[in-house]
Amino acid sequence: MDGMRLDRDCTDDDGKCAAKRGYTGEDGKGGAKLVSWNRRTGAAAWAGCIFALILAIYIAGALMPDGALRADFAKKSLPPSLEHIFGTDFLGRDMFVRTVKGLSLSLLVGTVASCGAAVIALVVGVTAAMGRRWVDHVVNWIIDLFMGVPHTVLIILVSIALSRGATGMLAGIALTHWVGLARIIRGEVLQIRSAEYIAVSRGFGKSAPWIAVHHILPHMVPQFFVGLILLFPHAIMHESGLTFLGFGLGPEQPAIGIILSESMRYISGGAAYLAILPGLSLVLLVLLIDRLGHTLRYLLEPKEAQL
Amino acid sequence: MAGDADKGSTTSTGSTKDEVTIGFPGIPSGFDPFTVSGHGSFVPLLYSTLVALDKDVNVVPDLATGYSVSDDALTYTFTLRTDAVFSDGEPVKVSDAVFTFEKIMSGASEIDLAVVDSVFESDGQLVIKLKRPRSTFILDVAGIGIAPEHAYGEDFSLHPIGSGPYVLEQYDVGQQMILMANNLYYGAAPAIKRAVFVNMTDEDQQLIAVKSGQVDITLTSATIAAANTVPGYRLVVEETVDNMGITMPVIPAGSMASDSGNPMGNDVTCDIAVRKAVAYAIDRERLCREALNGYGTPAYSENDGMPWWNPESVIETDVAFARELLDSSGWVDADGDGIREKNGQKASFPVYYFAGDSARQALAMSAANQVLENIGVEMVVQGAGEGDMVAMMVAWPVVLAWGSSNPITSYYLFHSASIGRDDWYDPESFGDAAVDAYLDAALGANSMEEAIPYWQKAQWDGTTGTSMRGECPYIFLANKDHLYYAREGLDIGDQMIHAHGAGWTLVANLKEWRWEN
Repeated sequence: MDGMRLDRDCTDDDGKCAAKRGYTGEDGKGGAKLVSWNRRTGAAAWAGCIFALILAIYIAGALMPDGALRADFAKKSLPPSLEHIFGTDFLGRDMFVRTVKGLSLSLLVGTVASCGAAVIALVVGVTAAMGRRWVDHVVNWIIDLFMGVPHTVLIILVSIALSRGATGMLAGIALTHWVGLARIIRGEVLQIRSAEYIAVSRGFGKSAPWIAVHHILPHMVPQFFVGLILLFPHAIMHESGLTFLGFGLGPEQPAIGIILSESMRYISGGAAYLAILPGLSLVLLVLLIDRLGHTLRYLLEPKEAQL
Repeated sequence: MAGDADKGSTTSTGSTKDEVTIGFPGIPSGFDPFTVSGHGSFVPLLYSTLVALDKDVNVVPDLATGYSVSDDALTYTFTLRTDAVFSDGEPVKVSDAVFTFEKIMSGASEIDLAVVDSVFESDGQLVIKLKRPRSTFILDVAGIGIAPEHAYGEDFSLHPIGSGPYVLEQYDVGQQMILMANNLYYGAAPAIKRAVFVNMTDEDQQLIAVKSGQVDITLTSATIAAANTVPGYRLVVEETVDNMGITMPVIPAGSMASDSGNPMGNDVTCDIAVRKAVAYAIDRERLCREALNGYGTPAYSENDGMPWWNPESVIETDVAFARELLDSSGWVDADGDGIREKNGQKASFPVYYFAGDSARQALAMSAANQVLENIGVEMVVQGAGEGDMVAMMVAWPVVLAWGSSNPITSYYLFHSASIGRDDWYDPESFGDAAVDAYLDAALGANSMEEAIPYWQKAQWDGTTGTSMRGECPYIFLANKDHLYYAREGLDIGDQMIHAHGAGWTLVANLKEWRWEN
């Protein structure tokens, strides 16, 4: 009955309010309004901070002039110091500058690749759940197929097929990372589809596409964004891994994968900091983004926030 | 007492090292002597050649006790030694040499015998007739390993039989090969009886192998050598003609396309003023210090120090002259950004190196710094994959390395016939009538001695040439020393001046290696 009421309200103004109603209703019910409000504020502040930090890394890397990467042989192979906190490489380039530039590039790659993957996931997930039975079967079969092949191998195959380089790698990551999110979205859609208000809406003569757009998609917004952000670390890790193996970005790019594969040569020579510090920075960035994803989940899915 | 002493000496003989383990880059995929030249390959170890090169690049007898050349330089007659046998016990006959030459002429080989008209046996001697005189022919002969006609078959490549100082004992594809001294070898018995070659291509892999004592000798790089001394090992520094330089396309962009359609030419480097200014603006001593940690010498040609080198190709660093060249040809920095322009074209171009080659990258970056500071020309150093390089290098400057014990390399590098062939030669599209004439005369001369003045004039004849004093299609930077970690006590003999490639040039004289007591 509750569902029906909401549905009726919502069909009047546009369907977006379905999502909104969803949580205001829950909030009111819990009676813990004050607490949850504070948590939500905290989470929002937290998310803002992380987002600002990530944005700052991106902007810093993008704005840094290329001249900062020029070789300076007077300063080659220096260990970490106050002046060069990550040390310098065998060409005298500051490793901190290279790392920030690399992270910035990773962020860009991560954004493009995970957006691509998330859009694929949304389209596939909704199609599977809303379409006919055989469509669902086919989509499930494809999802199983993609899950059955190891990620890295699949990315390398796609990347080589699409002429290596940045394009091939982006396509490779996007084409392999949609699977998990597509499953979640399909499950969600199936659940919502069986809700009473959908049946009522159908009873009022609304078409399937209309229902998809007005009743289903709005509910997918939180899933979509949280999923997107949680794809991000995967995309970045795969970008670095692929580049490390020589299938990703070109060697002239200041990518973290390049830095790491270059540094491998010097680990045995006693300059382990050349690999460890940039590697740690990458891990930290990935953890930050992961945290941002989880914090956003608190914000967008109040159920989570109250757990 | 006597018994004890005997015992002692037996033990010490038993433990006297006659084995060596070599960390080696690039174990070959087969040992067929017909596909590869003996310069920089397994040929001198497993096979014997009619003549050989000594460490001063003189031609000396080997399988042939002597040879004569007719006055018109078209007929070469070799007298073969009679005591040579293949490792299966069969004697080496003149017919085997005929078989070898004919096989190379009929198949695909990196040895170019197109100039040979016929090979036959006459009065127990080997006679080779040429279509036209070829001054480098005897050097080609020095690279041809003689194979047995009776034993050559399908799997010969993996079970080679030769008459050289060593035989192949064991071979694991891509991993290792083990050579044993050939008991039937006609020359002095080598002191090293057994040589294990372990495949080892990465610098850090090589260093680890030395640190853990797994190998007796292996290659290393300037970067590693400068930072690591390994107890029990000494650093061997071998001088080379392994020269590294930057190719500079001499034709304007879009003026032509290569055989497979790659666009050729570059609008900045086609100006000789830019090329020469870059050449003169670089302090090569500083380059060797900065980029090679001192393990290198300035390079001025593709063959510094070889008999056919022209010492006049040496240039002094002269920044004022370089600036004057650019000023007078209209390259000025009008907008004050530190980089000159001419007619809206910036004096800026990319320079590509093989991604992962730290020495080439460092050299190019060091040169780029100097050129920008000294004369306001920008070289943007970028890595590229080896697969893309052949297509790119006809339009963009590239860091290349050459160095050979055969002057024919100069012919291929700078003759106009090499333009646009989509190979590693002459990516600058350089071709000059005067230089072509010298190169043709050098190659077609009757002997090495007669050819030398022409090889030299091709580099610099007083007015033009391929060197940096002349047309300057190639900015030579440094001859890279070949560096090895060798276990204390391992004597690697007198090495011939090393050509390009640090592996095979090292072991070419394996039969002269020995352990000091």
